[in-house]
Amino acid sequence: MKLKWKDDGTLKTPLARARGLGASHHGVSHWWHQRMTAVANLPLMIWLVWAVVHMQGWTYIEFTAWLAVPVNAILMILSVISVFYHAALGTQVIVEDYFHIEWMKIAKLIGIKLFFIAAGVACVFSILKIAFTG
Amino acid sequence: MAEFTLPKNSKIQKGKSHDVAGKDAKRKKTFSLYRWDPDSGENPRMDDYTIDLDKCGPMVLDAMIYIKNEIDSTVTFRRSCREGICGSCAMNVDGTNTLACTKAIEDVKGDVKITPLPHMKVVKDLVPDQNHAIAQYTATEPWLKTSSPPPTRERLQSPEDADTLNGNDGKGPAACILCFCCSTSCPSYWWNEDRFMGPATLMQAHRWIVDSRDEATGERLDELDDSFKLYRCHTIMNCTNTCPKGLNPAESIAEIKKLMVTRR
Repeated sequence: MKLKWKDDGTLKTPLARARGLGASHHGVSHWWHQRMTAVANLPLMIWLVWAVVHMQGWTYIEFTAWLAVPVNAILMILSVISVFYHAALGTQVIVEDYFHIEWMKIAKLIGIKLFFIAAGVACVFSILKIAFTG
Repeated sequence: MAEFTLPKNSKIQKGKSHDVAGKDAKRKKTFSLYRWDPDSGENPRMDDYTIDLDKCGPMVLDAMIYIKNEIDSTVTFRRSCREGICGSCAMNVDGTNTLACTKAIEDVKGDVKITPLPHMKVVKDLVPDQNHAIAQYTATEPWLKTSSPPPTRERLQSPEDADTLNGNDGKGPAACILCFCCSTSCPSYWWNEDRFMGPATLMQAHRWIVDSRDEATGERLDELDDSFKLYRCHTIMNCTNTCPKGLNPAESIAEIKKLMVTRR
């Protein structure tokens, strides 16, 4: 596929190349969601680190009992969603920055999204299972 | 992946040395200049010119003009105003993108190493190909756009509104001279210059977005609402660090991002 913005030695004008395929009109959503999850991550991660430090020496039963408390389960689910969504957005930027072979870039972007969705669903399911069935 | 090494035919080699300072020169200085001639088929090289600073002016550009006039007329570089307002003599001096005409020789310790603006194609020696960067600037339609009937006199603007362009210290976005020192210092622009507009162009876009007389603000923002055109900026701040005019392109980009969120 010939991309309009590529400097491929064809006779297109510099302006045609600079305009490329135009604006996608989706830039601000990505940026805003990344900032929102960053703000959410701050208190959630402080809580998570504080909680993990407290868990030192706990048995499995003690831990599952702690996670079954609604406030802990809710905060844990929020942490998982916020962190994984933030990580998916961040890794997407890294791939877009550094991968310039188009098919490889698209494959990586799809892989990243699917990985974080699968990991997120697995974590939320595990938390709910412990919360509801112990 | 991004390319981190130079291709074989771009590897820089050691060039010739010219010492014309003379034995009794009190203030000797060596200038190491990047040389590449597209017609020779040879790799680029660094040529050294040792001169007597008492025979030329105080700025790096003065020394370069002395070298071109007195030693080697084939040295090729752009220059025009020699007072920091045209932006022609933008190049990398001593590791930082700057204007050769406003960079004092005495501010450089040791030899003065001069290379073209980074990550642009080289036309010859210190002359980079700026076609794409200037086309990106053109793509932002950098002129006043209005739908209201034209007034019979000047388009009025309050001093406060003028300050958003000029800055109350004269260092607002309208003070940018488009030398592209900032864009070529930006890693995001190095890796994605085909789609990212770069700090210089975004600062100019900001200049029109905040102009109280302009009526196309929404369209201008629409054109920048793109993961690459605007949001490749990761606030690295090289742009603001390197700007030879002391301007703040990073702040302009942040202001555009704020406006994008405000109108959501």
